[in-house]
Amino acid sequence: MDYPGNVAELTQRLRDGSYLADRGLATSLLVSLSLRRPLLLEGEVGVGKTEVAKVLAAVFGRRLIRLQCYEGISTSQALYEWDYARQMLQIRALSQAEATDERSVDKLFGPKFLLERPLLEAVRQGDRAVLLIDEVDRADDEFEAFLLEVLSDFQISIPELGTVKADSSPVVILTSNRTRELHDALRRRCLYHWIGYPNAEREAEIVAVREPAAAGQLVKKVVAAVQRLRELDMAKPPGVAETIDWVRTLGVLGETDLTQDAADDTLGAVVKDRDDLDLVRENLAEIIAGA
Amino acid sequence: MPETDSRHQADDPFTSVLVGFARDLRAAGLTVGTGDVLTYFAAMTPLDPTDLVDLYWGGRTTLLSRHQDQAVYDRVFRQYFLGEDAPARSQLMLSPQSVAEAEAALVMPGTEPGPEEDEERPALGWMASNVDALKHRSFTACTPDELAALRRIMTRIRLTPPRRRTRRTRPAARGGTQPDMRATIRASMRMHGEPPGRLYFQERKTKLRPLILILDVSGSMADYSRHLLQFAHTARQAAGRGAAGRVEVFCFGTRLTRITRELAHQRVDAALDEAARAVVDWDGGTRIGQSLDTFVRKWGRNGLCRGGVVVICSDGLDRGDPEVLAKAMERLDRLCHRIVWLNPHKGDDRDFRPNTLGMMVAAPHIDLLLSGHDLASLEELAGTLPALN
Repeated sequence: MDYPGNVAELTQRLRDGSYLADRGLATSLLVSLSLRRPLLLEGEVGVGKTEVAKVLAAVFGRRLIRLQCYEGISTSQALYEWDYARQMLQIRALSQAEATDERSVDKLFGPKFLLERPLLEAVRQGDRAVLLIDEVDRADDEFEAFLLEVLSDFQISIPELGTVKADSSPVVILTSNRTRELHDALRRRCLYHWIGYPNAEREAEIVAVREPAAAGQLVKKVVAAVQRLRELDMAKPPGVAETIDWVRTLGVLGETDLTQDAADDTLGAVVKDRDDLDLVRENLAEIIAGA
Repeated sequence: MPETDSRHQADDPFTSVLVGFARDLRAAGLTVGTGDVLTYFAAMTPLDPTDLVDLYWGGRTTLLSRHQDQAVYDRVFRQYFLGEDAPARSQLMLSPQSVAEAEAALVMPGTEPGPEEDEERPALGWMASNVDALKHRSFTACTPDELAALRRIMTRIRLTPPRRRTRRTRPAARGGTQPDMRATIRASMRMHGEPPGRLYFQERKTKLRPLILILDVSGSMADYSRHLLQFAHTARQAAGRGAAGRVEVFCFGTRLTRITRELAHQRVDAALDEAARAVVDWDGGTRIGQSLDTFVRKWGRNGLCRGGVVVICSDGLDRGDPEVLAKAMERLDRLCHRIVWLNPHKGDDRDFRPNTLGMMVAAPHIDLLLSGHDLASLEELAGTLPALN
């Protein structure tokens, strides 16, 4: 295990991977890494919940295994499935003598014909993987209960093969957008951290790390404008991802300053709702001026 | 001094301080289990227990499990570790510098998106201290006989929202739409790879749409709201047993409160008590527009009501800006599948015309207008609901 032993070191490692974590997030991650407990991240859209897992994997040289949850996700999409078509072909290829042989039938339900899905893969990889269970709130209740079982023991039983158990549990990050209240049982199994919007200074830092080519002045102005947008009564306030997008968009257009015209042309990068657009356009001068 | 040595010496005051902190959190209304406290202890191993900032964040990540509780946590932490006569201060002999640093961490704006949340969902501790000032007499005004009778009848009403097709499939008994390769090949394998006698089919599964109840508990609705809440509890319980799809319940007077969790309590009295405690603006004024707007912004756009049936129970007596209501209804209309409005003032009047400004503004977006003033009309709702496809 080569995880860092204190918060400062972990923050630095994440920074090396272009992720700026504040003290709270770094503490949660450190505790999660050292106690081997899953970490549940909640927060506004676009504040970098998913990104944490990606960076963790990259920085510590682990494999990122991602399970994207959606309504109606089933265990065969999360755990494993038998490769029926391949089994079929195999059977056709068997000679009569082989077909009656127990062993060749056993082989049909061997690892060769098993399609590993994210959870099984993560259990097999154990310590060598970072398992990202993204948007867990989108999955159904029953799936949550099933997840609970996997997350507590890190073992999966396959009737034909036996039980697969992780020799060391993988790092697990769960994210949720709070579209649905998660069950207490799942919450209790996890550590919890809420990621909010960063303040202006930190956001500018984040953008600078993500878009090193962007001019410092422009970044500052864009961040100030976005911070003001969040104060507006918007239906969908922009996240950090939108700020980065906006800076990038302005960069592509060769803008070096956030003028009102430039902002108007590129609003689509930050404001993604028609009513919001109207609202922002009305107050655009003020938003830019304050920047 | 070697590491183990110092830890050992610090062990005693440290343990009692953390346990005391957990006790205070519980007293403030948070759910903190013994297991959580053990995790907190374990979490301090890679952290520095003499550093208040580490104590703060370590506790936040291990003892908290939902964002709404954060304000309470902060308050208790401040009291326990930072206050003038804070118990922990003397025991841990914290340096003034580390106290100052922790103070700074507590007000760090980038990591404290709390205030907005606090307004929406009153912290439990605060509630407890102001309990007398708040009006929630309505539930208690229910006579036991009345409640019991209502409960018996209401539990028989089943709310079945309309169904929608999902992307999952199941084997079709007869005449499915898509061939089921998996079943076909399985059958073939049983016959050593010979083609099976028939092709298996599958069909798309259907699923109940989510049901969202938004109840008006303001003064003008006082006579109806407790019946509606009882009704909501029944619907919620059915959902818990898997008899119905997802059910979410909200209350509003001057502001919106989510009471889904409170109603999850099995015993109806306990559930209603909990709900009464959560709703602070009982029997007050009405701001429908504002409340619906909050709903759309906070929950609607996160997908809570997407594809669902929203049932709003209100008389439409709005004291807010009709413009806000119109906007909110328009948004809601776009977000959800169907909007049903229960207006008790409609009564049994078939030719009922919306006469309040609020109702008139909302009318274009309402798919179905019912009354909901008595049990019969609630049964009517239950009857029409499945057909709202």
